[in-house]
Amino acid sequence: MTIGLVLLLGLAAGILVGLLGIGGGIVLVPAMVHILHLDQHLAQGTSLLVLLPPIGLGALRQYWKAGNVNLRAGILCAVGMILGAYIGGKTAVPMSSQLLKGLFGGFLMFSAVLLWIRARPAAPASAALQEDGA
Amino acid sequence: MNRQWLVDAGVLLAGVTSGIASGMFGIGGGVILVPILGLLLGFTQHRAQGTSLVALIPPTGLLAVIQYAKADYVSWQTGLLLIPGLFLGGIAGGHLARRIPAARMRRIFAALMFLLGIWQVFSAFRG
Repeated sequence: MTIGLVLLLGLAAGILVGLLGIGGGIVLVPAMVHILHLDQHLAQGTSLLVLLPPIGLGALRQYWKAGNVNLRAGILCAVGMILGAYIGGKTAVPMSSQLLKGLFGGFLMFSAVLLWIRARPAAPASAALQEDGA
Repeated sequence: MNRQWLVDAGVLLAGVTSGIASGMFGIGGGVILVPILGLLLGFTQHRAQGTSLVALIPPTGLLAVIQYAKADYVSWQTGLLLIPGLFLGGIAGGHLARRIPAARMRRIFAALMFLLGIWQVFSAFRG
């Protein structure tokens, strides 16, 4: 694996992230598996490492300025995610690479459907359950 | 008041769910979190995305990374090399998004992702 190829891959994945507003991992993991030929576990662990720094900070500022942030909900989600990620890692690590690869494929299809739904022009979501932080 | 408690519980559960996906599949979790906040908890699309970004600021995947690293499932060199490109690419993509109809791009990408998913499942069970 050449250093140049990895740098380029990061750049390409970054462009997709900025362009489509999707997470880096969903692009990075398949790219590492199919282009860099990393094992499924290794690709996932490496992707998690890449996602540790707060890369969304710039984007968050834009949403914050527009008043589109529910801070309380965001913090609660983060707390839940720390716990969930522990459970998820505990489940995935002892699995066979084969099974994990298959599950990831299913997850890709599921995410594709969610992405498709989100691409609808204007989503008129009801704000019924949404509390207002004034 | 009562309802606030209910919303909080729902939001916390949304976090746990997307966290499990994050640790299991090596992703950030926003892919799952945004639709749950939007479709199940009634956030507007923008608010769901903004709120999800808050949740992705702390290193929520830390406990998962530690487990992968213990099993020697982290390629430090690849990971560190990916970060600068991802950062610069993200800025470029953000600018590009203002000129290109992003909704259509997302659909094209979603279709590609679906096909990639089918291929991945097949290649996993072909042996």
